Amino acid sequence: MALVYLDPFEQLQTELDRMLDAAFGPAGPSRLFPPVNVFDAGEAYVVKAELPGVTPDQIGIEVEDDTLTLRGERPFAEPSREAAYHRRERGSGQFRRVVRIPGRLESNEAKAEYRDGVLTVRLPKAKEARPRRVQIQAA
Amino acid sequence: MAPNELEARPKQKVERREETTRPGAYFQPAVDILETRDELVLVADMPGVPSDGVDVDLEGDELSIEGRVRTGDYDGLKPLYCEYGVGSYYRRFTLGEMIDRDGIKAQMKNGVLELRLPKAERARARRITVETA
Repeated sequence: MALVYLDPFEQLQTELDRMLDAAFGPAGPSRLFPPVNVFDAGEAYVVKAELPGVTPDQIGIEVEDDTLTLRGERPFAEPSREAAYHRRERGSGQFRRVVRIPGRLESNEAKAEYRDGVLTVRLPKAKEARPRRVQIQAA
Repeated sequence: MAPNELEARPKQKVERREETTRPGAYFQPAVDILETRDELVLVADMPGVPSDGVDVDLEGDELSIEGRVRTGDYDGLKPLYCEYGVGSYYRRFTLGEMIDRDGIKAQMKNGVLELRLPKAERARARRITVETA
């Protein structure tokens, strides 16, 4: 067997690609906005959403039981009257997205960060759902 | 008028024309391009790209933009569910206008690149305004 070196980020990309294909197949990914990726970070779940061109105050985040709700609006930039559009691919408008998290949460400990157009919400797992190291008792 | 509901635009992978030593996939950023009398404005969505991760290159009439994401943001994260691929961005354009290279301005904010490309004096002068007497 050939030895192939993949750096950790490449491994992640390969894994995400595989999941994208498995979840949506040739029909392609869903058109729900914003698209989200959900990760397991051991003690917490991490949800990332691509939300370029908004400011943190334009995003509302709610956590209730095992449900995360993201809502807000991506503003429309009104161009000046003399401008002609050659391409227009970037959408604008309102969004509301509900994401079910596959486990119990400590919802009052949720934290969110918005950086470079990506929203990251960290949702600590319920205490009893966190991985626990088991100590071996000396006899 | 009520604002419309936003729809996600699935990210498209692109092949780089030249071979790169950097690993991983490249995606095509969604862009708006608009033109005024004096300049071209290009706006590109590149979520995850910091302001120091952008390269803009103009060679002849060929403009290319590249945005690199911070790969370290994913350390220790095991994917459970995925709706979008993660990687850098790349896109090329052929410009129909002469651009004043020294006047190009780029700004990266909240994952959006705004590029202002002023038209060269020569290109501006080609335009002849007819004034009514």
